[in-house]
Amino acid sequence: MNASLNTPSVTEEAHKQTMKHSCEHHAECMKIIQAILDDEATEAEKDHFRENMDKCIPCIESYRLEKCIKDSLSIKLEKKPCPQSILNTIISKINS
Amino acid sequence: MSVAMSETLTNNGYTDDLRYEVFNREFMPHIDSMYNFAFRLTMDEDDANDLVQDTYLKAFRFISSFEQGTNAKAWLFRILKNSFINDYRKKSKEPSKVDYQEVETTYNSEEASDTTYTVDLRADAVQELIGDEVANALNALPVDFRTVIILCDIEGFTYEEMAKILDIPIGTVRSRLHRARNLLKEKLKSYASSMGYDS
Repeated sequence: MNASLNTPSVTEEAHKQTMKHSCEHHAECMKIIQAILDDEATEAEKDHFRENMDKCIPCIESYRLEKCIKDSLSIKLEKKPCPQSILNTIISKINS
Repeated sequence: MSVAMSETLTNNGYTDDLRYEVFNREFMPHIDSMYNFAFRLTMDEDDANDLVQDTYLKAFRFISSFEQGTNAKAWLFRILKNSFINDYRKKSKEPSKVDYQEVETTYNSEEASDTTYTVDLRADAVQELIGDEVANALNALPVDFRTVIILCDIEGFTYEEMAKILDIPIGTVRSRLHRARNLLKEKLKSYASSMGYDS
């Protein structure tokens, strides 16, 4: 679904001139982009996204940025294992 | 069946054996996520330890109010979040609820300017950041904004689950996430700038 929103290819570059370089309703688009990335978009939002998101450079760049931040949060942050001592304390307390 | 019948029935059909069984099967698999959530809320190892321990002991004590087949992880996160607010937030150096409301009021009052709000940050610059830098940017956010990002982007809860965990309407989840992400972009931007990634 989002293949067209990756880094613009050379052929896409050729179409850039016909694309929008500014977005007059960017705040609204940002809400849709957030909903799409969170898998919480309504059907109307999905339709709007499919129809418009490959035509507007600011929205494509925003989508890439938001996706990159979301991915960084889920992939790059260290996930620590819960210390064994806490597990032991919990188990001993519920068994006492 | 006869064994179950001979056991003392507690609330909601929970026998003593069943309490342990549900605790081990439904609650224990989430302990690492719970620990990381506690650590990211308190930003202190000892407080995180106490918070996880308190949460699990409360979960065991009140297990009869856990409806089997529902989302155990969301149920546990809600207990942890409430324990954090009631027991830990008061003594932490985090902005208090009043401070948070001021922050949210400020953002609400700037709704008009917020509509054209953009942070000059490129995806490529974010890609260069290492985990510690992303973590520091996240940790720099007021705790309520940090919380929605943790729940959504790190733990993968749905808006509906987040609304239940946080006791707020789904519309507030959406708008708080939106503002949290704008704040996070500002923090990431300053990291990217300081590392020279944005040039």
